[in-house]
Amino acid sequence: MTVTTTAAAGSNPSPAERLEPMDVIDHPTKRDEAWRYAPHGELGRLSFGPQVASARSVPAEVAALIPKLDGPRIVMLNGVVDDAFSDVADLPDGLRLVTLADGVNQQPELVDAHFHRSAEDVADAFVALNLAFGRDGAVIDVAEGHELDAPIHIVDLVVPDEAQNASCSGVVIHLGAGSSATVVETRIGFGNEFGGSNTRTTITLDENATLDHVVLQDAPSTQIHLTRMEVTQGTGSVLRARSFNLGARYGRIAYDVHLAGESARAELSGLYVGTGEQTLDQQITVVHEAENCTSRQTFRGILDDQSTGVFNGGIAVRPGADGTDAEQSNDNLLLSNRAEANTQPRLEILADDVSCKHGATVGQLDDDAMYYLRTRGIPADDARRLLIRGFADQVVHAVDIEPVRMWINERLGHTDG
Amino acid sequence: MLHVENLTASIGGTPVLKGLDLSVGAGEVHAIMGPNGSGKSTFAHSLAGRDGYEIGGTATLDGADLLDMEPEARAAAGLFIGFQYPVEIPGVNNMYFLRTAVNAVRRARGETEIGARDFLAVAQEAMDLVEMKPGFLNRSVNAGFSGGEKKRNEILQMAVLKPRLAVLDETDSGLDVDSLRIIAAGVNALRDPERSVIMITHYQRLLDYIKPDFVHVLVDGRIVASGDHTLALHLDDHGYADYLNHELDDAAERPFSGASR
Repeated sequence: MTVTTTAAAGSNPSPAERLEPMDVIDHPTKRDEAWRYAPHGELGRLSFGPQVASARSVPAEVAALIPKLDGPRIVMLNGVVDDAFSDVADLPDGLRLVTLADGVNQQPELVDAHFHRSAEDVADAFVALNLAFGRDGAVIDVAEGHELDAPIHIVDLVVPDEAQNASCSGVVIHLGAGSSATVVETRIGFGNEFGGSNTRTTITLDENATLDHVVLQDAPSTQIHLTRMEVTQGTGSVLRARSFNLGARYGRIAYDVHLAGESARAELSGLYVGTGEQTLDQQITVVHEAENCTSRQTFRGILDDQSTGVFNGGIAVRPGADGTDAEQSNDNLLLSNRAEANTQPRLEILADDVSCKHGATVGQLDDDAMYYLRTRGIPADDARRLLIRGFADQVVHAVDIEPVRMWINERLGHTDG
Repeated sequence: MLHVENLTASIGGTPVLKGLDLSVGAGEVHAIMGPNGSGKSTFAHSLAGRDGYEIGGTATLDGADLLDMEPEARAAAGLFIGFQYPVEIPGVNNMYFLRTAVNAVRRARGETEIGARDFLAVAQEAMDLVEMKPGFLNRSVNAGFSGGEKKRNEILQMAVLKPRLAVLDETDSGLDVDSLRIIAAGVNALRDPERSVIMITHYQRLLDYIKPDFVHVLVDGRIVASGDHTLALHLDDHGYADYLNHELDDAAERPFSGASR
């Protein structure tokens, strides 16, 4: 990949300094388990550099693709916040919402924590690039005890231009003790040019906080989308994370969740729907560090044409994390004999008194179910759609934000009824 | 209404139906009884159009050649099969499934589709018929249903699809007395001069609740005896021994009273 290290005016420390981790971390290769199915040739064609505000504004065609949510919104174009499309007026009590660029001064502690990563915490070169160049984005800070109803919407639009075809951005989410909030991150783009985006979200949940987090990834099929959620959960906190990995030539959604306080709970679920030559990659690691924590990973893939789905799901139980209750499931529906599902559980259990379950299935549409539906008069094509929808709905149903559910169903062509 | 002549069916090269003849008139209720492995379920699924059967002979419903049609076209022609083992379909809402089925059939017949609101009333009536609790329609089709609920769901589907001919395959198997009573009441309520029913059953028990006009004995892929409901009573007392281990050609000639043995 190409990296431009010319310092943007006023950046501190300079991107060149931020890039230091790159010296100790090799670019991912096919030999890295976590990057085994990535299109390495195309990753190498991504060019990164300091983000500069695009001369363009958000194209109207793209604006129409954004789910319509009532609530505050920060919209980025190629990694730089577009004020005209953002709406941070009339924030509810208890919410501070600023851009990541402004957060450097307005929320210094949170922003420092977002960027402060020791070399061993930098999982790969793309994290290093994000640390270097992901200077804009959003900072969401919910004060102790506040329960926010309206979802906070972060939109990342990518319209590659030739000089620098890939962008970086960041989102920081902090929920104070006993607070609750919903955050939706939409990643979409426009155009037929090659390019990509590399986003990173750090999430800190204080004691008994509850976060509903949704990722909608629907980048154009000419783009690469890489995203990573780094989560630290305090005592009794709850994370409900749902990801919908639908677009991009290569769409990668990674979660690195640390259950650091007792009795914390993380429910991660996701749906990936591949067509054409897409590769949709879910890289999940949940680390149980404290006692009596619960985690669930429920991921489903629907793969057609020559698409590839990847689920690499890890559960790590640290010494002393007794009472761990962890489950993982990955079910895949193959709609074509050229489609491929790869599922890989990784379990590392270093405590006693642990309940850890995992299961994976790869199958085709159920012939008996097809026949049953057809005997009821439902034509084969409709029966097929009904079964595919039923398979997807088991994840989609878990989303209780109606406009988001509608957006997903519309995107999947599940619009009737 | 239904005319079946010399129907044969092989599964994986093994003949199961070996020349089955049956005629069912409008409004009639027929029972087909027979020992395990005699071809009862294969008969139902040969009519319904299950994949993987090699079929011979003819079967027409109201003059239309069923055997030439896709399963969905047979449903549109007025055929309904009640499954012995209804299929669980997780994620597909029961109400949505029912309305999709009804509208698919209406579309195939050139009728106008029924809207969600109007269908609610249709569904409610069918729910009352099989004494289903509200909420039942919001669950996934058959997923996690008890045996009795699955069979009641079959009759509910029959009620909304309003078939010309319903073939109920072992609808009584695995039911407790309460469920049996509810299902029988549902079927009886759906009896109509324009609607015929074929009940496939291993036991006479169901026939105490739904009285058939005709009873047929199916052994080794052929109907070997036919009679009225007293034939079922005879079978209940004597089992199928009369019809087994004989030259089948002779069996068809034998009186069903069993007296000749």
